[in-house]
Amino acid sequence: MGCQSSHPSAIPELEEIMQETGFSQASVVRLYDRFQALDKEQKGSLSKYDLQGIGELAVNPLGDRIINAFFKEGEELADFRSFIRVLARFRPVEEGKSKETGRPEPMNSRLSKLRFAFQLYDQDSDGKISRDEMLQVLQLMVGIQVTDEQLVCIAERTIQEADQDGDGAISFEEFATSVEKLNIEQRMSLRLLK
Amino acid sequence: MQAKGSRGAPSLGALPFLFIVAVLLGLLPCLQPNPMLVSEAPHYPAVISGSEAGDVTAAPLDVSQAIRPLTNHTSPGHAKSRKAFPVLGIDYTHVRIPFEISLWILLACLMKLGFHVIPSVSNIVPESCLLIVVGLLVGGLIKGVGESPPILKSDIFFLFLLPPIILDAGYFLPLRQFTENLGTILIFAVVGTLWNAFFLGGLMYAVCQISGTGLDHIGLLANLLFGSIISAVDPVAVLAVFEEIHINELLHILVFGESLLNDAVTVVLYHLFEEFANFEQVTVTDIILGFLSFFVVSLGGVFVGVIYGVIAAFTSRFTSHIRVIEPLFVFLYSYMAYLSAELFHLSGIMALIASGVVMRPYVEANISHKSHTTIKYFLKMWSSVSETLIFIFLGVSTVAGRHYWNWTFIISTLIFCLIARVLGVLGLTWFINRFRIVKLTPKDQFIIAYGGLRGAIAFSLGYLLDYEHFGMRDMFLTAIITVIFFTVFVQGMTIRPLVDLLAVKKKQETKRSINEEIHTQFLDHLLTGIEDICGHYGHHHWKDKLNRFNKKYVKKCLIAGERSKEPQLIAFYHKMEMKQAIELVESGGLGKIPSAISTVSMQCVHLAVSQLPPLSSLSKDKEEEIRKILRNNLQKTRQRLRSYNRHTLVADPYEEAWNQMLLRRQKALQLEHKMNNYLTVPAHKLDSPTMSRARIGSDPQAYEPKSDSGNLPIITIDPASPQTPESVEDLKGMSRLPPSPEEDEEGLVMRVKESSSPGTDDVFTPGAGDSPSNQRMMRCLSDPGPQPEPEEGEPFIPKGQ
Repeated sequence: MGCQSSHPSAIPELEEIMQETGFSQASVVRLYDRFQALDKEQKGSLSKYDLQGIGELAVNPLGDRIINAFFKEGEELADFRSFIRVLARFRPVEEGKSKETGRPEPMNSRLSKLRFAFQLYDQDSDGKISRDEMLQVLQLMVGIQVTDEQLVCIAERTIQEADQDGDGAISFEEFATSVEKLNIEQRMSLRLLK
Repeated sequence: MQAKGSRGAPSLGALPFLFIVAVLLGLLPCLQPNPMLVSEAPHYPAVISGSEAGDVTAAPLDVSQAIRPLTNHTSPGHAKSRKAFPVLGIDYTHVRIPFEISLWILLACLMKLGFHVIPSVSNIVPESCLLIVVGLLVGGLIKGVGESPPILKSDIFFLFLLPPIILDAGYFLPLRQFTENLGTILIFAVVGTLWNAFFLGGLMYAVCQISGTGLDHIGLLANLLFGSIISAVDPVAVLAVFEEIHINELLHILVFGESLLNDAVTVVLYHLFEEFANFEQVTVTDIILGFLSFFVVSLGGVFVGVIYGVIAAFTSRFTSHIRVIEPLFVFLYSYMAYLSAELFHLSGIMALIASGVVMRPYVEANISHKSHTTIKYFLKMWSSVSETLIFIFLGVSTVAGRHYWNWTFIISTLIFCLIARVLGVLGLTWFINRFRIVKLTPKDQFIIAYGGLRGAIAFSLGYLLDYEHFGMRDMFLTAIITVIFFTVFVQGMTIRPLVDLLAVKKKQETKRSINEEIHTQFLDHLLTGIEDICGHYGHHHWKDKLNRFNKKYVKKCLIAGERSKEPQLIAFYHKMEMKQAIELVESGGLGKIPSAISTVSMQCVHLAVSQLPPLSSLSKDKEEEIRKILRNNLQKTRQRLRSYNRHTLVADPYEEAWNQMLLRRQKALQLEHKMNNYLTVPAHKLDSPTMSRARIGSDPQAYEPKSDSGNLPIITIDPASPQTPESVEDLKGMSRLPPSPEEDEEGLVMRVKESSSPGTDDVFTPGAGDSPSNQRMMRCLSDPGPQPEPEEGEPFIPKGQ
C-alpha cells in the first residue's frame, strides 16, 4: 500500500463513487491508494500491463480474465471509477436491508456478484456459457495434467447437469440455480472491502 | 419402555422388548465386579451364569425367581472330590472379563435395535435420553439384586470409549466449513469455555460463602476447578443430539467444532486447578505458566496429530499390495496419536482430530475403494457403540455412585450454568459478528447457546478427582450428573420442537455436483486474484499458497504413483462417476440407465466424433440404435468390479452377467467374421465412430487384449488415457467397412484390421504404463488378493495385478 494516505479531497468524484458503490470513505481512500500504487507511471489510470505486474496474478489460472474484467470492451486504460466498480461487487452484503423498490440493484447484491462471475465465464458475452467456454475455463484451471478428452467429458457433464432448457449451454438463470447452495454472499465477499 | 400401540402390530412390537427385558434379567447375575469395572461387591459364584443363560430365551422371568436359583446353588460349591473325568465343565472365571464386556456391548446394541423398532418413542425422545434411562434401569436392577453396579471408570472412558467417537468426527470433518468458520469456533471454544469456567466458579464460590449453606469449606480454587469441569461442551452429547435434528451445517459445525476444540482448554484448566487447589496462594508465575501450558497443550496436541497423520499417509502410499490391512493403518495411527498425546498430557482429542484431518486426503487417494468403505463403516460402528455404551454407563453410574445432595449448590450450579452459557454466547457473538461476513442471527445464537450440552467427559473428569484433596467430590459428582441429566434430557428433548418452531434452516441433503465443484474452484481463484489486486493478504491468499505448496511438494511424497499429479477436480469427477456407476449397479438397473450418464457418455463420444472428419450421414434411427447398444455396453463394462479373491466366498453376481454378455458377443462376432469376408471396399469413416465411441466412453476401466487371442475382437474402453496424436490420426487413416445390419446387435466390436497385427492394437491400448485410468482401474480391481484368477476362454483379461 502507498506510504502516504491520500486526502479524501484528492479523489475525484468521491461522493458519487461512495453513492454508487456503497463503500465507506475509508475504503475508498484505501482503494485509491492501492490504485495509485499500482499505477506506476502515475498516469491516472491503469493499463493491463500494470495489473499484470502483480506477481500472484501471474500464477493465477484466471489471472488474465480477471484483469480483462477491469477494462471495458476494447479499451486499454481503466480509470479509478472502473477499478472501484469492479471491486464493489465484492463488498460484503449488508444483512437486514430490505429491498426498496425503485432503487437500482446494489452493486454488491447476490445477483450482481453472480453476474460478474458469469461474465468471466462467458467471454463472448452472448449470455450463455457454451461448451467451448466451459472447456476453456477447465483448461485454464486444470489444463496441463489432463487430456483433452477428459476435459471434454467433464465439460459435457457440467453443461448437461446444469442445462435445464436443453440448449446445450448454460444461461444465467441456470448458472444461478446451479450455485444456489454455494452461499455466494460469503464466497464472493472480501471482508476488507467494507 | 412401554410397547405402546403405534403403526404396526403392538404385539409384534412388544416381543423385542420382552426379549430385551429377559436379556437384562439374564445379565444380572453376570454383572460381577471385575478389575475393569470398579465395584465393591463380594464375589459371586460363577456357576450361575451358565444355567441362567439357558433360561433367558424363555418367557420373561420373574426377578425373584432369578434370584432364588442363585442362592441355592452356592452351597454345593466347587468341591473337587475324586470323580470321573468331567465331560462337561464350567469355568466362568476363565472367560469372565471378555464375557462381561461382550454382554454389555450386546446390551447396548440390543437397546439401539429396540429403539428403532418402536419409532414413536424415538421420535420424541432422543436416543441418548433413552439410553440413560436404560442405564438407570439396569443400575437399579443390579442394585435391587443386592449387587453393586459398575461405575464408568475414567480410564476406560478416556482410553477406549472416547477415541472412536472423536476419530469418527475428525476423519469425516467437513473441512471446508470448519476452516471457514475456524475463527468463530476458536473464539467460542477458548474464550467461551474460559468465561464459563471463571464465571461459574466465581459465582459458586460466592454462593458457598453465603452462611448457612454449610459449604464454606470449599475454597475458591476448588470452585474454579468445578467450574472448569462443568463448563466444557461435550462432543458426545452434542453429536448424539444434533445428529437427529439435522440442523444446517453452519450451526452444526459451530457447536460441534467448539465441543471438540475446547478439550485443550478443559485439560489445561483441570490440571491447573487440580494442582493449585492444594496450595493456598497462587502466584503470578503460576498463572503465566498456566497460560503457557495452554498453548503447549493445544499446539502440541495438534503437532503430534499432524506427525502421525503424515506417517499414516506415507505408509498408505505403499499398501497397494496388501489392501486388506489398509483400514487398520488408519485406525492404529490415529489411536497412537491419541495415546501419544495423552502420554505427554497434551490434548488427545486435538491430536486425534489433527491426524484424521491430515491423513485423510492422502490416504483416500491411495487406498482402494473397498478400504475406504471399510474405514467408513468401522468408524461409524465403533463410534455408535461407544456412544451407546457411554450413555448406558452414565445411567448405571448414577445409580451406583455415592451421592451427596445439597440443594443450594446443585440448583445454583444449574442456574448459573445456563446463565453463563447464554451470556457467553451473546457476548461473543456480538464481538464475532463484527468480523464475520455472514453474521450470526439471534436464532443462530439461541441454538448455539441451547446446544451447549454437557456429557460424560465432565462426569469422568469429576470422577478422577481424588478424595484426599477433594472431600466434596461426591457433591461435585452429584451436581455434575444433575447438570448432565438436565442438559441431555430437557435440552435434548426440547431442541427438536424448538428448531421446528423457530424454523431454523435444516441441512440440505444433496450431493455435491460437478457444477458446484467447478464453480467453487473458479470462485476461489477469482477471489484470490481480487485479493491480490487489492493488495490484501487475506484468507484466500493463504489458502491458495497452501494449496500450491501441497500440490508441489506434499502430494508427491504422500500419494502413490500417478495419482499425485491428479488435480482435485479430476479426482472429484472420477469419484462421482464411480459412485454413480456403483449406485446404478446397486439399484439393479443393468438395463436401465440414468439419463445423465448415458447421454453424457454419448455426448462425450459425439464430441470426439465431431472432431474427426465429417461422416457420411448415418440414418437417424440407425444412429439411435447404435447409440442404444453402446449405452448398454458401456454401462456393463463400467459395472465390472472384481470380486474378492481371498475373503469372499460369494460369487459376484455381476460377473455372471458379464460372462453372459461376453458369450453373446463372441457369438455375434463369429457371425461378423463371416460377413467381413465378403466386403472389400474400405470406407473408413463409418467405422471410426464405433471405435472412437468405444474408446472415448467415459469408462474408467481399461483392458488389454490377450496377446495370443488371434483374431478375437478387442474391446478396449479406455477413455481417460492420454491419447497420443498419432493414434488419433491412425484412426482417421484406417480403412473400414460399412456398417452392416448385424453391427447393431454386436455392440462394441472392432473390425479386424489388416494393417496392424491382431491382438496388439496401439490405437486402443495406449500403453502398458501407469496411465491414470490404469491406475484407477488397478485400485478398483486390485482388492485384495495378490493373485488374480485368470478367466479361461476369455479375450478380456484385466490388466495388471
